[in-house]
Amino acid sequence: MATSAKKIFELFVSKVPWTLSSKEMKEYFGQFGQVKKCLLPFDKETGFHRGFCWIGYTSEEGLQNALQKYPHTLEGATLQVQRNRKVFVGQKTNKEVPEES
Amino acid sequence: MAALLRSARLLKCLPSGLCLWPYAGLRHYAVIPEQKGPAKDESSLGVRSKQAQQFDWALAKLDSSVRRTGRVTKTLLMRIFHDICRTGYPSGNQALLLLRSCGSLLPEVPMAERSELARHIWDKLKELGASYDASHYNALVKVFLQNEFKFSPNEFLAKMEAAGVQPNRVTYQRLIAAYCNAGDIEGASTILGFMKSKDLPITEAVFNSLVTGHARADDMESAVSILSVMKGAGIEPGPDTYVALLNAYAERGDMEKIRQTLETAGSTDISLMDRDLMQVVFSLAKAGYHQHVPSIVDLMRHERGYVPDAMNLCLSLITQGHEDTAFSVLKTFPTLQQENESGDSNNLGNFFLRHCVNMNKPVEKLARYCQELQDSNCHAAPLQFTLYCCLEAKNTATALELMKIMKEQGQPIRPHFFWPLLMQHVKDRNTVGVMEVMKGMQELGVPADVETLSNYILPAFPNVAVALGISCFLLLTSNLTHPSVCFYLPSLVSDPSFSALDLSNFRTVLCCSVSLSNGVSYFLYNLIDSMSEAEVQAQEEKLRQYFNQLKSMNIVIPVNIYRGIRNLLDSYHVPELIKVSSDSPSTRKLAELKAEGKPVGPTLKQLILSLCSEEKLDAALELKSQHAADMATGGYAALIHLCCRHNNVDEALKLKGELSHKDPSVSLDSTKSIALVKALVKHDRMEEAVDLLKEMKEKDVSVVDTAVTLLFHTLNAAALKGDVAAVRQLQATVFTLGLTKPTANLCSPLITAHLQTKDLSGALDAAMECQKQYGHLPRIHDVICGLVENGDTELLQKAMDFVSQERGEMTMLYNLFFAFMQTGRHREARKIIETPGLRARAGRLQWYAEKCVAANQMESLESLVEMTAKLFECDRDEMYHYLLRLCKNTNDWRKAEATWTKMQEENVIPRERTLRLLADILRSNGQEVPFEVIVKCSSYVSCSCLVCACRSLFHSSLCSEAYSELKNMDRKGEALGPSPYSALIRALLAEGNMEDALEVQKIATTHIPHFKLNDIANSLLIITQAKKNLTKDALATLKSMLQADQVPSKLSITRLVQSLGSHGDIAGIQDVEALMKGLGNPLNLSPMMFVNNTAIARIKNGDLDSAVEGLEAIYTSAGEGSQPASMAFVFRKVLEEKNITALDKLSAMAERLANHFASYGPASDLFIQLMDAGMKEEAKFMLARCSAVAEQREALVSYMSRLSRTPGQLCFLALSLLLILSFSFSLNFFDWVCLTVLARSTALDNDLASAKALYQQMQSEGVEADELCLKRLAKLYKSAGESVPFTEPPVSGRLGLIKKNKTAYSERLNSKCLYMDF
Repeated sequence: MATSAKKIFELFVSKVPWTLSSKEMKEYFGQFGQVKKCLLPFDKETGFHRGFCWIGYTSEEGLQNALQKYPHTLEGATLQVQRNRKVFVGQKTNKEVPEES
Repeated sequence: MAALLRSARLLKCLPSGLCLWPYAGLRHYAVIPEQKGPAKDESSLGVRSKQAQQFDWALAKLDSSVRRTGRVTKTLLMRIFHDICRTGYPSGNQALLLLRSCGSLLPEVPMAERSELARHIWDKLKELGASYDASHYNALVKVFLQNEFKFSPNEFLAKMEAAGVQPNRVTYQRLIAAYCNAGDIEGASTILGFMKSKDLPITEAVFNSLVTGHARADDMESAVSILSVMKGAGIEPGPDTYVALLNAYAERGDMEKIRQTLETAGSTDISLMDRDLMQVVFSLAKAGYHQHVPSIVDLMRHERGYVPDAMNLCLSLITQGHEDTAFSVLKTFPTLQQENESGDSNNLGNFFLRHCVNMNKPVEKLARYCQELQDSNCHAAPLQFTLYCCLEAKNTATALELMKIMKEQGQPIRPHFFWPLLMQHVKDRNTVGVMEVMKGMQELGVPADVETLSNYILPAFPNVAVALGISCFLLLTSNLTHPSVCFYLPSLVSDPSFSALDLSNFRTVLCCSVSLSNGVSYFLYNLIDSMSEAEVQAQEEKLRQYFNQLKSMNIVIPVNIYRGIRNLLDSYHVPELIKVSSDSPSTRKLAELKAEGKPVGPTLKQLILSLCSEEKLDAALELKSQHAADMATGGYAALIHLCCRHNNVDEALKLKGELSHKDPSVSLDSTKSIALVKALVKHDRMEEAVDLLKEMKEKDVSVVDTAVTLLFHTLNAAALKGDVAAVRQLQATVFTLGLTKPTANLCSPLITAHLQTKDLSGALDAAMECQKQYGHLPRIHDVICGLVENGDTELLQKAMDFVSQERGEMTMLYNLFFAFMQTGRHREARKIIETPGLRARAGRLQWYAEKCVAANQMESLESLVEMTAKLFECDRDEMYHYLLRLCKNTNDWRKAEATWTKMQEENVIPRERTLRLLADILRSNGQEVPFEVIVKCSSYVSCSCLVCACRSLFHSSLCSEAYSELKNMDRKGEALGPSPYSALIRALLAEGNMEDALEVQKIATTHIPHFKLNDIANSLLIITQAKKNLTKDALATLKSMLQADQVPSKLSITRLVQSLGSHGDIAGIQDVEALMKGLGNPLNLSPMMFVNNTAIARIKNGDLDSAVEGLEAIYTSAGEGSQPASMAFVFRKVLEEKNITALDKLSAMAERLANHFASYGPASDLFIQLMDAGMKEEAKFMLARCSAVAEQREALVSYMSRLSRTPGQLCFLALSLLLILSFSFSLNFFDWVCLTVLARSTALDNDLASAKALYQQMQSEGVEADELCLKRLAKLYKSAGESVPFTEPPVSGRLGLIKKNKTAYSERLNSKCLYMDF
């Protein structure tokens, strides 16, 4: 109906080792382009994160840069990176990193 | 199911030497090209879906664990145990399953704890009504043996006999083992004496125990001599005998003898598996001879299944405190090369590290293991993993130590590492724990960031001030600068009444973007959904406007919702129903039509079809010739098909000619074409048949499944005539044309044709050809059987090579195995099935077993069952079930009983159906059934169904039906399992039908001596008794419940206390209060409940003064800020009973409390109760006397919102509003009240008139309604089709926010309001 909804350029990252937090993820994926959003949901029961993460870029370019690199190795672990298929609808979480710019 | 059901070794080595058959002795293949992922279970899929019962579920769960890992975790076992307990009545085999799992299947649990667990489960299940038979006692002994638990076998026997359970061969065998493990040969001899007196056979197992027994009695000479005694008795020492001997030497640390024994075993054709050697390792480690372990470990061959077995060995060693030995075993694990290539990092030893953590091994050791694992490249990040385990286990001290080590190694330590530890403390509100972790964080130099602070630290503190202090401290020390802190702290300071937890929630609410568009879209969807079709059509214009408006407001409707709306709109235009006229045709009608010159086509077709279905070929043909001009394709097709059925090929071909003459483009469908082909083949008209097939292809006829079946029959018919050429020609045509995919079934006729002519070589060639061309190997079993029968080793070799090359060695071995079985060569078959590395293929085994059952081949089936005993992953229960089925067919109860003993010896846990079958066989032969089995009779089924139904529905008619059915059954002497009784009692009680419920209980007790009501039923009983004014009985029930350790429901206590109150039984109330205080797990009962009901009781007894005194004391003694809960209940009761004196006294008290003690609770309670009772005048007076009531904002508002939820209260509400308005409320507040009221009432009764009145009232009072209020009012107007008399405010973001806020607020109030109901 309208063009108000901004286009989202999102990655879905899985196999994130438990030692990483969203800060590290954001830093790492920041090298491919400006990261608008980094969502690493934590399990309120266990205190560990769930091993997957969404990275939202401000532009298609950042997304493509990230997708072109293979493999993504971070602190010895290989991350599985793919384009996000499902649109992530406003989920409540403690890990939303507000834009810092 | 097999893995669990069998305690024996995984695979057995077969004796080398002796090679009678080319394939009988040479296999030692370790690598089987198996499919990756979970093992595919061919047969049991279908079987399992049929028995979707709880036992199977639990069994499957445990079994898959055992199958994958050879062990069960305690957590899983306990979960299943609790599940079974919760459902009430454990069945016999559930008990067996649980008991069986308490032994060596729990390597992670110390042995003493395992035995304790077994005893606990035993007692608990017994208490719950499980009945134990010999199989349970046997399982218990087995577990005791595995856990090296010391017990007196004689006492055990005595207990068994006291319980009326007859010990059997297996029991004696195991008790001998128990004596022998303690080195008590004398004791063992006594039991041996029992066995001899009962004429029970002495098996290898007994001798093996004696080897151990003599060794433990320090008499190695006698131990060794047992082997010759065995030989003398005609029993060859097996692998287990040698393992017993080896263990005996291991306990002495005698490596020389161990080597000698291993050699002897090897020379006597017994080769020991890795598993056996692992037992020796375990014995060595336990006896303290760690230094000898490596030389045994070196002997291991790393067979299939080595890794899980070795893992279990390591776990057991760690549990027993030999972690260093375990680590040396771990180092022998083969590293998994392929994982490296795929880029995944190594993680060998995870299980080891985790278990070390769980067993609280010292940090130094952990660090050393980690270092070694990392240095040897086995594990990429062992420290991180170990830390993970510590965090998971919430082991703070070790975790902090490990982090220190990690930090020294330069690895990063991050704030979220501490979250799992903090999490637990936050949950427990354990501030000391939080402080401890925080101290650790500080020592490690890890500052807490905002998230840690707000989610994992502050919520633990009940007092905001303390939390604030801490957070300030942390902020100062860690120098945090984050925008959200700026948000967070001021809000903490500004509103001290909010807890930190609330705030963080609130923050997230704000942070989340307000999803307005979603809300609107849902609204639209629901709006349209709630409108009728006519309404939608009538309002079409309005809807269009609405859509346009949304569009202009840039609101996008999400796709899903859009689809939903579209579907809704679509569904409102229901297409007209197609009028179906179905007159049956007749020749008469046909003639009439013809006479009238109308088209006769459809009628003619129907007529022909009906004639065809009546198989009237001649009549149909005649009709056709009469109306040849009007014939359509359908008619022809039916006629052709009929001709084929009647074998009239010529006529069929003629008809087909006519049809294509009429319309060359038309083609017959596949079934009819193939039917014609079949007829042609039958008449040996191959050329025409092939042509027809080609025509099908040309005309692109799609071949349906039934046609494929028909095609198979065509081919098979030719094959049975032995016409190889014809079959080959047809097959080739069909497959080359690609009419259908070649399947095994379609390929088989070619082999059948060869076999028919006894041409085995040709059959083999044909089968090989099929495999090459189409990838199918049809009827290979028959071919191989033929070859074995003829002793044609050369061809057999060829066949085997081929199968093994094409299908893998496993398939080949199975083929050979079944061929040997089929031809009665059991010796050879056994050698095949014992090939190391072979695993069970349930589908193949089922296939052969079914064959045996169908053909009544007991001997063959028995040897199949016996031979597969040690087959990897073989479902033993399934195998025995086949055997029992055959026993049932032959009605052979002796064999059935022997089968049951064998099952116990093998530790098989029978499924329910197996037991039922066994019981059935025994019973029908007049034998006693030695175990409990749930009665299965027709009325049982119907009754338990009814009970199930009333359990779910609580439907009274069903309930009484079930009850009468049950009484019927009882009269006939039929008993049910405990759970239907229990369910019925609950259902009856839920209806308040106490007499019948007690009757059912009586019936149940006569059948099941230990029958008891469960928590729910007892609670319901209390409620019923309280309702029926049988307070003494209810109190007695409660007491007996508490004695039985049951927990009553909150409602039952409330009802009981209320009933006691209204009976004036003060002592009773005090009793209950004391009982509840003594309850370990408090029910969260309101203390006011006891106070209120005591007051009621006193009023009832006429003792008004002490009632008032008691209540007053409660309110005056309460400290500031902590208002006791409401006493509305007392007022309500008094008002209900119209006890004016009491009311006067109480209201005087309430006013006194309000005016002198500033305790407004009772006054506002009274006010509300007066309002509720419709005593408006009294309420007004009360307000006048005690104006502070009007300031009790929360109480009044929650009352209001409660009222507004009941329809039809609007006028009443408006009145009460006015009442309130006349006092000192702020406008804002009033506004809010209006809003809630409006929202609720519009939702409930669409009462526009009242809403209008309210609005007018507001206007005249000069109250300005806010946006949302107006919006709702506008909606009301619009839905009533009236125009809105004011400008409707636009939808804005603010509105959404307000809405959220207000709902949150009102929800909170509502919860308070519920609380007030007491």
